[in-house]
Amino acid sequence: MGLVKYVIRRLLYMIPLILGISIVVFLVMYAAGDPIQIATAGNPSITEAQRQFLRQYYGLDDPLHVQYFRWLDHFLHLDFGMSLYGGKPVNEIIATYFWETLKLQLVSILLAFAISIPIGVYSAVKQRSIFDYLFSGISIAGISFPVFFLGIVFILVFSFQLGLLPSSGAHGAPKLWPVFGIEHPLLDELVHLAMPATVLTLASLAYNTRLLRAGMLEVMRQDYIMAARASGIPEKKILFKYALKNAIMPLITLLGLSIGFAIGGAPATETVFSWPGLGRAYVTAAQRLDFPLIMGITMIITIMILVANLITDISYASIDPRVSIE
Amino acid sequence: MSMNLLEIENLKTYFFTEAGVVKALDGVTFNVEKGCTIGLVGESGSGKSVTAQSVLRIVPRPGRIVGGKILFNGEDILAKKESEMRSYRGKKISLIFQDPTSSLNPVFTIGNQLSDIVMQHNRVKKDEAAEAVVKALKLVKLPDPEEALTRYPHQFSGGMKQRICIARALLLNPDLLFADEPTTNLDVTIQAQIIALLVDLQKNIGLTLVMITHDMGIVTQMCKCVVVLYAGKVMEIGSIEKIFEMPHPYTEALLKAVPRLDQTRKLISIPGNIPNLIEPPSGCRFHPRCQYAVERCKEEVPPLQDVGGGHMISCHRWRELNGG
Amino acid sequence: MVNSEQPNGKNENATRRSASQWAVAWRRFKKHKSGLFGLGMIVILVFIAVFHSFIAPYPPGSLDPLYEGEAGQPPSWKHPFGTTIGGSDVYSELIHGSVWTLYVAIIATVIAMLITMVVGISSGYLGGYIDDILMRITEVFLVFPSLLLILVFSRIYQLMNPEPFWKFLGISIPVNLTTIVLIVALFAWAGNARVIRGEVMALKEKEFIQAAKSLGASSRWIMLRHILPNVLPQTIVIATLTMASAVLIEAVVSFLGFGDINTNTWGRMMEESFQYMSTTWWAEVFPGLAVFLTVLAFNLVGDGISDALNPRLRE
Repeated sequence: MGLVKYVIRRLLYMIPLILGISIVVFLVMYAAGDPIQIATAGNPSITEAQRQFLRQYYGLDDPLHVQYFRWLDHFLHLDFGMSLYGGKPVNEIIATYFWETLKLQLVSILLAFAISIPIGVYSAVKQRSIFDYLFSGISIAGISFPVFFLGIVFILVFSFQLGLLPSSGAHGAPKLWPVFGIEHPLLDELVHLAMPATVLTLASLAYNTRLLRAGMLEVMRQDYIMAARASGIPEKKILFKYALKNAIMPLITLLGLSIGFAIGGAPATETVFSWPGLGRAYVTAAQRLDFPLIMGITMIITIMILVANLITDISYASIDPRVSIE
Repeated sequence: MSMNLLEIENLKTYFFTEAGVVKALDGVTFNVEKGCTIGLVGESGSGKSVTAQSVLRIVPRPGRIVGGKILFNGEDILAKKESEMRSYRGKKISLIFQDPTSSLNPVFTIGNQLSDIVMQHNRVKKDEAAEAVVKALKLVKLPDPEEALTRYPHQFSGGMKQRICIARALLLNPDLLFADEPTTNLDVTIQAQIIALLVDLQKNIGLTLVMITHDMGIVTQMCKCVVVLYAGKVMEIGSIEKIFEMPHPYTEALLKAVPRLDQTRKLISIPGNIPNLIEPPSGCRFHPRCQYAVERCKEEVPPLQDVGGGHMISCHRWRELNGG
Repeated sequence: MVNSEQPNGKNENATRRSASQWAVAWRRFKKHKSGLFGLGMIVILVFIAVFHSFIAPYPPGSLDPLYEGEAGQPPSWKHPFGTTIGGSDVYSELIHGSVWTLYVAIIATVIAMLITMVVGISSGYLGGYIDDILMRITEVFLVFPSLLLILVFSRIYQLMNPEPFWKFLGISIPVNLTTIVLIVALFAWAGNARVIRGEVMALKEKEFIQAAKSLGASSRWIMLRHILPNVLPQTIVIATLTMASAVLIEAVVSFLGFGDINTNTWGRMMEESFQYMSTTWWAEVFPGLAVFLTVLAFNLVGDGISDALNPRLRE
């Protein structure tokens, strides 16, 4: 009961935030000038009358507040309007790219989470060992290495040098990518996923292990750890039961945040790998200033972030009894 | 056959920090008689807690026991394998911490953390372990012990938490219990209750209790015998009477710092601070703060000597000061 | 660790940092090998940026290698990092680009830190409705998908066709790059302001602040004279990390084609070489390594400082 109330309250609380963000984005775009002028600048054969027709067609000649409320009305009906390019509805475009982005992001976020736990715990336990120095070094290098550059290096090595993996796309088209001579849609998909997913995993792995190591070092100094030791609990159990549950909190927060942001894709990484995801779609939309598409993607991302935050807070409360969601 | 449950001889525990080697215990020697309550007394940083940690062999990094002997029931603890030592912890020797809030794991229920200990040492099923926990919680007079199993530490008050901690230490009927300032972080009224509980338990279950404290008031209430530590060295060992009658200069200073209702004398704090244990003072470690110190105290380390009736003193001037 | 008997009361006198405490921190930092290494790299970077026109063999934007018939050449003695397809010397362009890297790092960080400190300190110290309002605004900035908005902003600005440079005291300031830097700064303060706010709220309860208050010091005086110096160490750590992320974000923005076409930043060099990287990998890899090493240097220094200020974590 408390949970339902809490979720409702949090959802209500999101409304002003979402409205605020939509207004800011709307204003920014309005300040940008006439999108039709921008969109048609490269077309010498277009006439001013045709431009005017387009403006009317997209409702761009109405006053700002009228435009905003019309957008809001559509938004409440989950309709983001038509893209200025190609004449497709924004919803359709988002739906096309959504799953590709989600697939890539979920795989790498969950992999990074799982791998970081043993590494983070082990580095903290063996503080100042060669292992710890090695992994601390790798992880600070990891957070400093631009993710898209990592992708570039991977492509140079594994695609151009070794010819092992495809350098772009999520699917082999028109022909499937053969794995050990076998052509199968699933293998083809995995092979395309391999590099971008590895790159994104490595990038978040660096953050995760640093966070978990610091958390473990802090927790291992606490009295309750010494108390468990003084009660004869074996070290392995102390680490993976008593300490880990306390130290994993910041990682849970990060996990929630990254799932929220995941839907924005990694614009640069997706661009490097020509991954047909929302991140790359957004880059293209920003290049062309395709406002309906920009608005649509921004709102989807914002809502995903807010929902992910909410889920994070709830799971937090279920792990840490001191946090109450009342 | 000795009557001593615990014998500590020339124990040295050092912390190897970046700043240098901290000699937290530098040759500590004392015995604990079976069934007796002794007080381990000293200011913060004198090595009281480290003594308890050393006996359990749970000195945190970068600390290490570098020398000496610890005999428990006549067996050499320092020679034992880690796995064997683990079966002693919580079962034969237990420890109660100063701060009950930080010594209970905040994210597990009381039942979960305490049954874990029972199941670690005895091959029993979950519900049997839970029964043992309830029994221990009853022993420390925690209200609603069954319900407490499913609750988390933050749902209890400080005094209740300390009762739970005491129950945790007594789960498996240990022979020896270290209580490391168990009342320092509690309200005065709660303090009295916890002390009364400990005194009760000690009498009823024949526990051997080492009461670690800086409070001479608690010592006089609870203990027959006192060990006074200063800067990692034993200054004095003796019965309560002896220690009040003819104390070591440091003990004397400690006693003067205790407020008492029945006396109107001024409270006197000990001047100066506890010394840096990386480069401890030469000679007697207390000499820079001792009002009786002479040249000899600076140069020679005074040995711990029996001055009669089991009263041990480490002081060059004690005899002449006490008319000897 | 030794003084575990009395965890409270020990840190009380450590809250006001005196000159000697800075000296202690510096002594600790000097022992921190990776931090010193990072500092060394930054010093070298600054040196290169200051003397870029003397160090680089070719002037910025020079196409001399093209006219010498040496376009798209792999690394050699003459061109240590090779030449681009377009015929410029990668080594020289990297050296000239260091100026923009530092420009981005410094300007973005100064602005982001100003907002961070003003919001964090006033929110934490004044509390009440000011805190409420500021924290709501901070939340909006926290959930904003900032990189995406930065791209839109930059693109809009590119299309406005502004003058390429402003003259300020005889120095040419690239307008478009500066806009990007400002937008980056605008989205780089929110999380940090929360950290500072938390620190300030803890400090507020300390005795010396209460004492100053009871002696009738004004809020502004307390914030400037007592709070600010005490959150300074934390601030320095945050600032170093902000520099790292500003360099990183500018590289991403430029790489995606939203950079300032009048400045050859490392990110822009990577963008231009990206489509040719199967043939001229050096034109892609060396700018990438430059970004990596710079970000690494700032991160190492940030780590070093925070370790030096919190020796607890290192024992």
